[in-house]
Amino acid sequence: MSGQVAISGKAQVPELGRVGQTSSAAGSDAALIAAAVSGAEAAFRELFRRHTPHLLQFVTRVLGSSSGDAEDVVQDTWVRAYPALVTFRSESSFRTWLCSIGLRAALDSMRRGRRHIAGELFDDDASSVPPATEDRMDIESAIARLAPGYRMVLVLHDVEGFTHEEIGSQLGIAPGTSKAQLFKARRVMRALLTGREKNNERRQ
Amino acid sequence: MNDDNEFELTTEEQEMLSSLRREREPGDLLEERVVRALRRDGHFGSARPSSRTLGKLTRIAAAVALFAGGVATGRYLIVPDAPQAAAATQPASVAREASQKRELPIPASGEMIVAETELWL
Repeated sequence: MSGQVAISGKAQVPELGRVGQTSSAAGSDAALIAAAVSGAEAAFRELFRRHTPHLLQFVTRVLGSSSGDAEDVVQDTWVRAYPALVTFRSESSFRTWLCSIGLRAALDSMRRGRRHIAGELFDDDASSVPPATEDRMDIESAIARLAPGYRMVLVLHDVEGFTHEEIGSQLGIAPGTSKAQLFKARRVMRALLTGREKNNERRQ
Repeated sequence: MNDDNEFELTTEEQEMLSSLRREREPGDLLEERVVRALRRDGHFGSARPSSRTLGKLTRIAAAVALFAGGVATGRYLIVPDAPQAAAATQPASVAREASQKRELPIPASGEMIVAETELWL
């Protein structure tokens, strides 16, 4: 029974799971995707409810910004993802696929907002030096304080579990660059977590 | 030269990273915003009628207008002045009656017979 979805505009949607429930619940992602592709709005809404909480957290962390910006990026992500659902081949998990679209939407948002021009994100800029602070930070704040290029690589690798090859592919950089960025990102994050002063870092 | 191991995550850091929240509930309106945006792009049941429906409605409206126009034109062209039509097409007795109603001089019966015969031919 689970996963049986009629392919029509008024497709019967698999029994809806709770928000955040995984795809093992009634109605697999694949069945919901098939129904959504055929135009079933209810199936799309269920996909949305199932995956948006993780997507929103991921985008918020990548942007290091307010939830308002993050919701705009999540909206952009779904608007991009829906027409592309037909191309989803289940080679990766739907969550990973959606996050990769979310990452591109976040990058575009940052570039549109002129916060960072293209190519600047992964420059070896002065932001590798942690800001002056005596206060220890919680890890969420420390990640938010990282320079965008560092933050993205650290979130993708250390939080989401992407490999350097995958990160390189997603961000258009070499895997070696990803490794170097992660190295620096961890160093800055550690400084922020321990409240180490920037002078210590600058001596390095 | 930097030692890679220097910046391997410590156990404490790994625990902090793994304790990070993985989900964040979106605002109540986000779902509707997304669905509306997709509808605007022509997905799902768009609120506006599709171009196919619009075409069908246009064809029906054109057919109705054409029919109404034809009826109006037909009435205007085919139905002449009523007394003249009666005189031309009705039998002599009826024509006479019509003429009397209009207080016209009654034609001689011979003339009416000739007129009637011409109509038959």
